[in-house]
Amino acid sequence: MAHAEAHHDDHHHPGFFTRWFCSTNHKDIGTLYLWVAMFAAIVGGLMSWYIRAELAEPGLQLISNDAEGKQFYNVLVTGHGFIMVFFVVMPAMIGGFGNWFVPLMIGAPDMAFPRMNNISFWLLAAGFALLLTAAFIDGGPGTGWTVYPPLSSIDFHPGRAVDFGILSLHVAGASSILGAINFIVTIFNMRAPGMTIHRMPLFVWAILVTAFLLLLALPVLAGGLTMLLTDRNFGTAFFNPAEGGDPVLWQHLFWFFGHPEVYIIIIPAFGIISQIVSTFSKKPVFGYLGMAYAMAAIGVVGFVVWAHHMYTIGFNVDTRAYFTAATMVIAVPTGVKIFSWLATMWGGSIKFEVPMMYALAFIFLFVVGGVTGVTLANASADLVFHDTYYVVAHFHYVMGLAAILAMFAGWYYWIGKMTGRRYPEGLARVQFWFFVIGVNVLFFPQHFSGLAGMPRRIPDYPDAYAPFNYISSVGALITAIGTLLFFVVLWRTYTSSEKVEANQWGEGATTLEWTVASPAPWHTHEELPDMTGKAPAE
Amino acid sequence: MLKRLFTLVPAAVAAMFSGAGAALAEGVVAKSTPWQMWLQEPMSPSAEMVHDLNVLLMWIEVAIVIFVLAIMAYVMVRFSEKNNPTPSKTTHHTGLEVAWTAIPILILVAIAIPSLKTLYFADHTPDADMTLKVKGNQWYWSYGYPDHGDFEFDSVYVPEEELKPGQPRLLTVDTPVVLPVDTNIRLLLTSNDVIHNWAIPSLAVKLDTTPGRTNETWTRINKPGDYYGMCSELCGVNHGFMPIHIKAVSKEEFAKWVVGAKEEYASNDTDKQPVRLAKAQVR
Amino acid sequence: MASTRTKNRRAAMALSVVVAAMVGLAFASVPLYKLFCQVTGYGGTPKIKVAAGDSASTRQIEVRFDANVNKGMPWHFKPAQVHVTVKLGEPKLAFYRARNDSDETITGTAVFNVTPYKVGPYFSKIDCFCFTEQTLKPGQEVDMPVEFFVDPEIYTDPNTKDVHAITLSYTFYRSEPEDSDKKAETAARPVDGKSNIKG
Repeated sequence: MAHAEAHHDDHHHPGFFTRWFCSTNHKDIGTLYLWVAMFAAIVGGLMSWYIRAELAEPGLQLISNDAEGKQFYNVLVTGHGFIMVFFVVMPAMIGGFGNWFVPLMIGAPDMAFPRMNNISFWLLAAGFALLLTAAFIDGGPGTGWTVYPPLSSIDFHPGRAVDFGILSLHVAGASSILGAINFIVTIFNMRAPGMTIHRMPLFVWAILVTAFLLLLALPVLAGGLTMLLTDRNFGTAFFNPAEGGDPVLWQHLFWFFGHPEVYIIIIPAFGIISQIVSTFSKKPVFGYLGMAYAMAAIGVVGFVVWAHHMYTIGFNVDTRAYFTAATMVIAVPTGVKIFSWLATMWGGSIKFEVPMMYALAFIFLFVVGGVTGVTLANASADLVFHDTYYVVAHFHYVMGLAAILAMFAGWYYWIGKMTGRRYPEGLARVQFWFFVIGVNVLFFPQHFSGLAGMPRRIPDYPDAYAPFNYISSVGALITAIGTLLFFVVLWRTYTSSEKVEANQWGEGATTLEWTVASPAPWHTHEELPDMTGKAPAE
Repeated sequence: MLKRLFTLVPAAVAAMFSGAGAALAEGVVAKSTPWQMWLQEPMSPSAEMVHDLNVLLMWIEVAIVIFVLAIMAYVMVRFSEKNNPTPSKTTHHTGLEVAWTAIPILILVAIAIPSLKTLYFADHTPDADMTLKVKGNQWYWSYGYPDHGDFEFDSVYVPEEELKPGQPRLLTVDTPVVLPVDTNIRLLLTSNDVIHNWAIPSLAVKLDTTPGRTNETWTRINKPGDYYGMCSELCGVNHGFMPIHIKAVSKEEFAKWVVGAKEEYASNDTDKQPVRLAKAQVR
Repeated sequence: MASTRTKNRRAAMALSVVVAAMVGLAFASVPLYKLFCQVTGYGGTPKIKVAAGDSASTRQIEVRFDANVNKGMPWHFKPAQVHVTVKLGEPKLAFYRARNDSDETITGTAVFNVTPYKVGPYFSKIDCFCFTEQTLKPGQEVDMPVEFFVDPEIYTDPNTKDVHAITLSYTFYRSEPEDSDKKAETAARPVDGKSNIKG
């Protein structure tokens, strides 16, 4: 962590409570986000391991064969989804790495609104607490993270569980909206002299695009959530057909947010991978402008494809045709990115350090997840895939594999900068292999289960689906070991006496964070670095 | 010897990849088999088109993945630090950048054409010979036959303890839906409570049942047999326990069944004397 | 030249306006969604018209009738005829029969749509019981009319000319009556069509 090394700071050190509960320091806040993300990952992971343990064999082994047991299963499924999306990936990549490295990379001393930054963090923590509360009261929300009414309405989910879930998302959403404003203003207004928009590192571009997506998508979720809340508690009928409402309206509002949300998840990962591939190939990223604008294009087009999550609700065939075409369009800028990373490595001088291993795994596994997305983009193909394990396999490949691998890549890449300590090399490689093999054994067979017709969100399945479910659960076990190993690596890193130098990675590490000491001093760039005259990124 | 290999191996692979179980004396059994890695065998005109589309998609996607893997493998060896100590400075190549934008576009167009053809075919109800009404409930399906006397019945999940030998777990209901083969069937779907989804993979039918709204699609079953599906939209605690079982029979058998069913599931219309207190006023 | 602090504040204000606008858009989607479906007929929303045009034609189409009651609505509700064949442009009258099978007075409202969805703009309901609430005493049975026509344009639109059968579907929901003394009303005076939002 950013131990405020005494010899560099002019400032009086705040006490523990002030430093960690009233922080206005982007590094400390980034650290807080990373800790919450790791804690949430354990909670979300435990939920998923429970699910996989239940699904390892046909029949109900862990949950009781009654309404209470089955509701608990649905709550696990719901909780796992919400936690991983809202309280693991987003906090780690945007709140954690974003906060830590955007100011460092653009030469700013801190974020534009340091106090609002702190509010964002504590709102997130509160949102997480509310979600956990929701899971434990009145039977919990057994609606899936998609919360479709009428199942989520008061008639079919009486009690306060869904309401607490709604509140949790409102609070977490507010956290992200404020964070998005903070990032946009910081990136636009606080770049060091000479750091033009087209000289910013691609990670900063990624956070900028992500921040705009958050700004535009989260308020729509907030609107929809408020409507659901008033339908449940104040007699409105937005989604109640009995009084002129329409359950499908919720789906439009949710997915208008929900699709950009998945790009919010992956675009920061793209940014991290660009930094790492460039560093360990000792080459600048191929086609910088193409990479930056590809992310922007993915973000923009990501707003007009939402109904590919709704292909089977029964809407006009021409509209389905449009969404099929629009969704497939996104494959083009995404392909540009994949090929650009490969072209970055081509001609490079590649060092296979652990962050680079994770980045390579990301590139390959993201392509695997991406091509199944092309299948799902087709409304006619979706007739056999909607709500099956094929969809589960697809989104876990792009989120559960790719995004998480990018998070690990970023952790290994930047942990030296954040703590000044070196991670244990051998153990890190073992951890890599356990995790990567584990998640592939876990999720690849799910493609087959889905192709064969196994639906999602069921605690028990017809016997024919048993073999691949068993293998998938074995994969979950291997992944769990890989996760445990990560925490061992974490602990060994923190307790290591090996220090790292300011630039741990050598000539390939060309961004500004490598010009400050490791660990980064509590205050950096108090004198703005002068980037004028520096060679343009292009 | 080699000839046998070339017929046996593809047959074995096809068996692993195919869907329908062995055709029993009374017809097809359309559900997943263990270790099945591919779609269930298509048993309707829509399913055949969807199946072919997916074969095309799979080959394109496998090719893309192998292509990327090959480049990565080459790069990791050829341009490792050891083999290439001095990195190049190339960050542009217009030709390459155009190619990797244009070629994916062409591939996507090649996919879109059969994809949209399949979409429009599966959507458009051809002149239907009969209608089946499907209603989703928590947690069972009800079926109605408006063209055959408008009788209705519920189709309820049979729990494991009550299964007879040979009945598949989680797919068995007390009263299957009986439908005739080689008949265009209009499907009208709605729900009584929350959103469910009526899905039969081998027929490529999958449509949400939403309360307050009726959805329409169609199917045509090619062969007699048993067709299975499961609810495909989370609908509460027993979402995984409301299966669909269609018994497809010849047209003659269906006509016979209708006669018996009309009596057994007689609609309530004949029970009470109509009491008309107000008559419609036409403007 | 404004200070960084001022520039930051201004930028944050502008972005907050964007956030507020998006929330507003989410809420605006409610009436916009309804309006869009009513105007375009999207999602099988029939038109609510007052009179048929003079453009009657000799072409015919089958119109089918479907009836549902929601859970918790103890009415027997069925179409009086499963289907009729109508000439395009010609107004036709059809009936639904509803009977209150419970022992309390119950009021219901009906929501509706047509399938296939794309025929929505061409199916017009001139008069319909669904425009107002219906109240039935215990055991009371009524015939409820719906007068409609199918626009001949349905066969000139390349999108819809392949449709030979339209299904009109109603679902009755239990509702609280506006006036507890309300008697059974089957004559419809088209007020603001209580059409379901479909899209």
